[in-house]
Amino acid sequence: MSTDPDAQTTRKIVIEAHDVVKRFGGAVAVDQVSIAVGAGEIHAVVGENGAGKSTLMRILAGILTPDSGGVSVNGKLLEPGAKASLEAGIALVHQELSLIPEMTVAENILLGVTPTKFGVIDSARQRKIAGDALDQIGVSVDLNERVSRLSMALRQFVEIARAVARNPRVLILDEPTATLTPAETDYLLSMLQRLAARGLAIIYISHRIPEVFRICERATILRDGQIVEVMTIAETTPNAVIDKMVGRELKLDLQTRRVADPGAVVLSARGIRAARVNGIDLDVRAGEIVGIGGLVGAGRSELVRAIIGVDPRTAGTATITVDGETKNINGYGNAVRSGIAFIPEERRTEGLALDMTVAENITLPNRAALSTGGFLQRGKIAEFATRLANTVGLRPPEVDRAAGEYSGGNQQKVVIAKWLGREPKLIVLDEPTRGVDVGAKSEIHRLLRELADQGTAVLVVSSDLPELLELSDVIHVVRDGRIMGTLSPDEANERSVMALAAGERVASSS
Amino acid sequence: MTHTEIIKTPTPASIAGGSGNSASKTVAWVASRGIFIFTAVLLVFSAIFVNGFASSVNIIDVFHRASAIGIVAIGMTFVVISANYIDLSVVAQIATSGVILMALSPTYGVLGAMAIALFFALLYGLVNGISVGFLKANAVVVTLGTTGIGAGILSLVTGGTIYYGPTGGPIDAFGDARVGPFPLSAFVLIIVAIVASIVLSRTKFGFMIRSYGSNKQATRLAGVNSGGVVVGAFVLTALAAMIAGFVLAAYSNTAVSTMSEGYDFRALAAVIIGGNSLFGGRGSIFRTFIGVIFISVLSNILVLSGFSFAWQQLVTGAVIVFAVALDALARKAEKR
Repeated sequence: MSTDPDAQTTRKIVIEAHDVVKRFGGAVAVDQVSIAVGAGEIHAVVGENGAGKSTLMRILAGILTPDSGGVSVNGKLLEPGAKASLEAGIALVHQELSLIPEMTVAENILLGVTPTKFGVIDSARQRKIAGDALDQIGVSVDLNERVSRLSMALRQFVEIARAVARNPRVLILDEPTATLTPAETDYLLSMLQRLAARGLAIIYISHRIPEVFRICERATILRDGQIVEVMTIAETTPNAVIDKMVGRELKLDLQTRRVADPGAVVLSARGIRAARVNGIDLDVRAGEIVGIGGLVGAGRSELVRAIIGVDPRTAGTATITVDGETKNINGYGNAVRSGIAFIPEERRTEGLALDMTVAENITLPNRAALSTGGFLQRGKIAEFATRLANTVGLRPPEVDRAAGEYSGGNQQKVVIAKWLGREPKLIVLDEPTRGVDVGAKSEIHRLLRELADQGTAVLVVSSDLPELLELSDVIHVVRDGRIMGTLSPDEANERSVMALAAGERVASSS
Repeated sequence: MTHTEIIKTPTPASIAGGSGNSASKTVAWVASRGIFIFTAVLLVFSAIFVNGFASSVNIIDVFHRASAIGIVAIGMTFVVISANYIDLSVVAQIATSGVILMALSPTYGVLGAMAIALFFALLYGLVNGISVGFLKANAVVVTLGTTGIGAGILSLVTGGTIYYGPTGGPIDAFGDARVGPFPLSAFVLIIVAIVASIVLSRTKFGFMIRSYGSNKQATRLAGVNSGGVVVGAFVLTALAAMIAGFVLAAYSNTAVSTMSEGYDFRALAAVIIGGNSLFGGRGSIFRTFIGVIFISVLSNILVLSGFSFAWQQLVTGAVIVFAVALDALARKAEKR
C-alpha cells in the first residue's frame, strides 16, 4: 500500500505492525497490513465486519501469531505470544466481555496479576491497585461488588480499569461502546481522551463513525483484510470514511421515513410485570414499526422478553391477534406457534448454532414445514434456505457453510432469515444491528421496512438512537421498567428520547 | 452436491476453520478423521501379527462381544450429541432387561417378557430424561443415582439368582443362530446402527438433538421444546440398552443382576473414541460404530496375546484419555 498518500504522524511511534499477514485456511484475513500509532494518539481502525479489524487487534495483542510480518513496541520487535505483548505494555479491552461474573470488581481488575503475600492473596493491595485504576479512569464502583450485579456499562468500565491497572503503553479497544447509551458513550470517550493526554497510544475500533470523528486523530480503514487508506480525521468527512469502508457509494438517508399505514392491533400487552419490568401496556399494529428506547438497564430487553414469554412474567397478559382471532400468549413455545418471531440480543449464544450450517440454522424454526412424516426433506431444505439467504442478502449465499464462518452482519441476516421462513405476523428484534457493519445495517433496515410495508408488525429494541429514530413509526421510551413517554415521528429526536430515557440523570452524569 | 452436505458432520476444513496454525490443524484433523486411520491400521496389524485373530471362530467372537457394547454405545450417542450429557444408568438398564427376559419368559412367554422389559426401559428413559431435561438436574449425578436404584432393586428382587433359559428354547436358538459365519446379534447391531443413523441424521427429531447439542439457548428460542428433546435422547438410549440386554442374555442363555458391569465405561469409550464430541452437537452413529470396532478388536488382540483383564482396562482407559484430550485440543485449536 506504499502508493497511497497515507497520513503520517509526527508523534513518537509506540506500537508498530510491519506487513502483517494472517490466513485462516484459504482465506486471507489480514493482508500486508502496516500500522504505526504514536504516544498520545487515538487511532481509529474502521472497516466493515469481516474486514480484518479484530484479527489485526488480536495480532497486535499477541493472541494470534501472524504468518509473516511482526509487531514492535518502542522499536523493539516482540516475541510471539500474549505474554510478551502484555510485558511490552499492550492491553486489549475485548469486544466480548471477559470478566468473571461471580468474582468481585477488585478480583476481576487484578485477574491474572493477583498480588500475593507468602502465597496468599494480598487483598489490601489488590483493592488498592484496583481502586487506583478506577480512579485513573474516573469511575466509582464498589470494589467488593460482584460483577454479575453491575450494569453492562459498568462492566465495560471495569474491563477498561483492568487494562489500565497493568500500566500499559498501548490500549486497544474493540467496539467498547456497542452496549452503551449515548451518555455512557460520552463518558467513555472523554475518559479515553484523558488517557491519551497522558501519553498512552490508543487504538480504537468502532463502527460508529461520529465517535471516531470526535476523539481520533487518524483512522486506518480496512477492507477485505487490506488497508484502503490511512486518513487524518481533521482533513476528511464521515461520508468519505464510510465510502472508503464499504468501497461503494452508500447514501446515509437517515431522514427518509416510511409512510406507515398501520392496520389492526396484532400484539397487545397489558400490565406486564417481570424482573425489572414494572407494569407496561403496549400495542403493536400490523404494518407498524414500534421502537423501544431507553438506557441500558432500563428494562427494555426484559420487557419484550416478558411479553412474548421468553422470560417469565409475574403479572399481566399479552395477546396476539391473527386474522381476527385473538390468542393469549402463554409461554414462548405458544408465542412462536402463534406467529411471533424473536431475534435476540445475543446473536452468538442465543441466535445461532455457530457450528451448524446456515441451512441447518434456517431449518430449526421451520423444521415442521421442511419435514414429512418426521423425516427432513433435504432437497426442500437446500432450496428453502437458499431462497431465504438471498432474500436477506447473505454474502456469499452458501448455505452449507457453518454459520460461525460468517461475519457478524451476515450472521444477523441468517438469524432474520430463519424466522422469515415462518412468515411471522409479529417480529420482535432486540438490538437488530449490534456489532453489524454499516452495509449490512442498512440492508437490515431496508428489510424491516419492507416487512412492515407488507403488513408485518415489528417491535424493535435498540440502544442505537439514530437507528431507532430512522426505523420507528412510534417510540416508547422506557425507564425503570416503565414507559416514560411515547413519541411520534414528528416529536422524536435524539434530545426528546434522551430527555425521557435519562430523566433528571442527564444533568447529574455529565 | 449440496443436499447431502446438510447432514454431514463437520469437515476437517471447517473444524480447523478458525486457525491457520498447522499444528492445530493437524490436531483437528486427527480428532476428526484419525479414528478411521487408527481402526484400519489396527485391523491390518492384528490380521498380520496377532496369532489366531483372523480365524473365523475369533471373528465371530469379536462380533458377539461387539454387538451388545455397540448397541448400548449407539444409544448413548444420542445422549452425548444432545449436549454433553452421559447416561451412566445403562449398566442397570441392560441387566434389568436381560434378567426380565430370562426370568419372566417361562411365565409370560418371550414377547410378554420383552413387553415388560420395554415398560422398564421407558421408565428409565423418562425418569432420567425428565430429571435432566425439565428439572435441569446434572445428568451424571442423576444417572448415577438411577443406576444405583435400579441395580439395587434388581439385586434385592433376584437375590443374585442366575436365570438359565431352557436349552434349545427360542432365546437359546437366537443366541446360537448364524447367518453364514456371523451371529444374529451382529445383524441386530447393524440394524440398530442403520435405524439410529437415519433417526439422527434424517429425522426432525434427530435434527433437534443435534441442534440442541450445538446451542441449547438458540434451539429453545427457535420454539423447540428442549426438555422434550432431552427426554427423547434418554428414551432412545434406554431402548438401545434394553435391546443390548436381550442380545447379551441370548448370547449365553443366562442372565444375572451383575451381567453388565463395566458396560457404561466401555460404551462411553466407544462413543468418545469414535470421535463424537463430548461438548455436544458433533458426531454420528457411524463414528460410534467405528469406535466399537476399535475397542472390541483392541481388547480381543490383548486377550489373544495373553494380556490380563487388568491390562485391557489400562489400555482402554489410556485410549479414552487420549481421545478426550484430542477432542478438547481440537476445540481449543478451533477457537484460536
